[in-house]
Amino acid sequence: MDFYLGLIQIIGVHTLLGLSAYCVLLTGQVSLAQAGFFAIGAYVAGMLTVLAQWPLIPALAVSAVVAGAVACAVGFPALRVKGLMLVVATVAFGEAVRLFFFNFTYQIQAGTLHLGPHGAEGFRQIRYFPEHGWSTLDVVLFIWIVVALVMAGLWWLDHSRVGAVLRAVGEDELAAQSVGINITAVKVSAMTVGGFIAGIGGGIFAHYTTHIEHAQFGVVLATFAIAYPILGGLSNVFGTLLAAVFIQGFLIEGLRFMGDWRNLLFGGLIVLAMNVRPRGLLDAGTTRALKRLFAAGKERSGA
Amino acid sequence: MVDLVQNTIDGLMIGSSYGLLALGFTLIFGVMRRLNLSYGPSVMIGGYLGTVVYLQFGAGPLTVAAAVVVGAAVAGIYVERLCFAPMKAGAAIASMVSSFAIWMQLEQAAILVLPRHTYAFPPLATGAPIELGPFAIRVDHLVMLGSALGLAAAVQLVLYRTRFGLALRAIIGNPVAAHLVGVDVRMVMPLAFAGASAIGGVAGFLVLAVDQQITPMFGMWATLKGLIAMMIGGLGSVPGAVLGGLLLGVIEAQSQWYFGPQIRDLVAYFVLFAFLAIRPRGLVGSMSEASTQKA
Amino acid sequence: MFEVSDIVAAYGKIEALKGVSLKVESGRITCLLGPNGAGKTTLMMTIAGILQPRRGSIRLEGAELAGLSPARIVSRGVALVPENRLVFPEMSVRENLLAGAYQRRDRAGIDSDIERMYARFPRLKERRDQMAGTLSGGEQQMLAVARALMSRPRLLLMDEPSLGLAPLIVAEIFDIIAELNRDGTTIFLVEQNAHMALKVAHQFFLMEQGRITFSGTPGQLAEDEVIQRAYLGTRRAVG
Repeated sequence: MDFYLGLIQIIGVHTLLGLSAYCVLLTGQVSLAQAGFFAIGAYVAGMLTVLAQWPLIPALAVSAVVAGAVACAVGFPALRVKGLMLVVATVAFGEAVRLFFFNFTYQIQAGTLHLGPHGAEGFRQIRYFPEHGWSTLDVVLFIWIVVALVMAGLWWLDHSRVGAVLRAVGEDELAAQSVGINITAVKVSAMTVGGFIAGIGGGIFAHYTTHIEHAQFGVVLATFAIAYPILGGLSNVFGTLLAAVFIQGFLIEGLRFMGDWRNLLFGGLIVLAMNVRPRGLLDAGTTRALKRLFAAGKERSGA
Repeated sequence: MVDLVQNTIDGLMIGSSYGLLALGFTLIFGVMRRLNLSYGPSVMIGGYLGTVVYLQFGAGPLTVAAAVVVGAAVAGIYVERLCFAPMKAGAAIASMVSSFAIWMQLEQAAILVLPRHTYAFPPLATGAPIELGPFAIRVDHLVMLGSALGLAAAVQLVLYRTRFGLALRAIIGNPVAAHLVGVDVRMVMPLAFAGASAIGGVAGFLVLAVDQQITPMFGMWATLKGLIAMMIGGLGSVPGAVLGGLLLGVIEAQSQWYFGPQIRDLVAYFVLFAFLAIRPRGLVGSMSEASTQKA
Repeated sequence: MFEVSDIVAAYGKIEALKGVSLKVESGRITCLLGPNGAGKTTLMMTIAGILQPRRGSIRLEGAELAGLSPARIVSRGVALVPENRLVFPEMSVRENLLAGAYQRRDRAGIDSDIERMYARFPRLKERRDQMAGTLSGGEQQMLAVARALMSRPRLLLMDEPSLGLAPLIVAEIFDIIAELNRDGTTIFLVEQNAHMALKVAHQFFLMEQGRITFSGTPGQLAEDEVIQRAYLGTRRAVG
């Protein structure tokens, strides 16, 4: 049972990570910096609850704000470049963050224990959940409430004027500019919101794993972050959720019985999915078909 | 002062292999306009093939080098067939995500073949360093520099003096126009991929032989070094790739000496940032900025 | 004789060509007119093999071209001067011409053809070592034409050769087209500039919404009626 609860936690946190890349991708930017924002969220939230003894929710709020602020600051210079240049710039940023935490030590003595980040060894003993009597089930519920809130927020954004603006920039910058959209503001805002969400995700991640270290936040995690929305499709937020379930639940955990051979199949299946559905699992066509299906059901039940 | 010069010498030597990695990368990016995250891992697969040949048969450096190059080229074609050839136009990010998935696959394949974390790799050349006044040059470094510059010059000749080179430059310049003048793009693409990965394979062999060990992490390392050197040097030219590699090598050697190994990588990223912000075309980038936007 | 029959081509689910048939007589200039979005460029790209037709046949002197790769089509004697010219910007003028002869192996013939191009386009000779990306629009158009001629085509396709060029340059380009034709090249031309096109063409077709709706010779309809139909379409006028 605990295994499945653990898996559901992982899927929840990775969904947040994927959603943070989703809103950046909507504006047509491929960012590999999300793992860096995620790392910042993880370290900030962990330090607040462990070192400053803050309660969890304010700590998460602060980690989100800090990661969002860093994303905003990164957004401005990064936006001067596009395409491959942006990918490389954000890889460099993500790696720089990782290297920063690799060298970052800030510890206090608490009884016999040394608490706080300790360079290459990482940040151990983030024991907020057990110390405050949260059961695994509580943690799972908490994570998914946050996921639901973030998804609802993004869904609402997506269906408001803001979503139309974001997509307009993603589809054709020149056209968007010509109708008076401020491209820089839109892109930096998307980056900031993405950083904010990644910060929350990272903060939660630090608390359920209880031990974080720089190596967890490398290029691999950053690529996972964009793989979710790309594989899921950019037509709505549910694609990202679906892809996180597919990758973490099916490809990684579901195929664990295959042992060492798992990653071979993992690679093959992702490639297959991207070949068959280059616009994602839930592309616009599928979404329309599903909507028609539900609409038809409603009409019938209404009649 | 002596240190400064000695570091520069060491940096140039190591940097020559970064330049080769960047050269393979820039060729792939030029013909595909897509980012191949599996570039380094393809080179790593070549490295593992070389290690197997070395461990099983006690092969000499030249045989091992041939195995690395062949392995990298075959892995390159595998990546091209799976992640790039079948992808529709406009699905550049799908290619990138696929190449990430294949990266995980290749890493796993390496671990399946040789499960320990590190393996020994045969040395490139042994012998006492050559003394030049207060400075010393390692023999294997010298071999590395010579091979790297020689290969880069050969690539430049192929690009500008052969029919295949003309085809490659046509595709880099404009893929549709390349079709229209009669370049068989579907034939040239996998060959370009294999060739670029083979160049990466030579770089991989040189680095591994100087380090005398290999780990599965080598794939990511090669991708990152190649990417940084390519961006510093500027896309789309042989001299740019080589200069970018040499500069990266010197920067790393100096910052390692003065600030230590951890700060070294941070400095490299900082320099990359500076280039992207101030001079996004790199040192001698010839490819127009617009052509890089689609990645 | 070049013959397209019942070609259907599509982008995804949208059919851009809905059964196009036409004939181009050897040694003539044939022109295809029509409003934006009629499928003219799609037809050119399909003939050149960049797009694969869903159905139909494309024959040059009886030999089937549909389904061949673009490279094979070039070697069978069809060359396209594409819309927006698409010269190789980082190659010199001379290298662009060499690339145009990519399918040929006769070094001596290639060299003498390059000299012939220089004779026909003196501006290209002046700029032979200059990067093509630095040429003016008109010079790039001449280079694109010369590059296509380097494959020694039996049929030269041209897609909007006057696009984005100043009126004087347009007149020069059309002079070149007429001259090439006098030397025996069969030309099939897509053009927005109906006035110029009708001046040089021996025959023309009108295309609307993926279908050929009219064919004739330039004298057959009053020019303003052709222009009316080419720009506005007939369907709109009817209903």
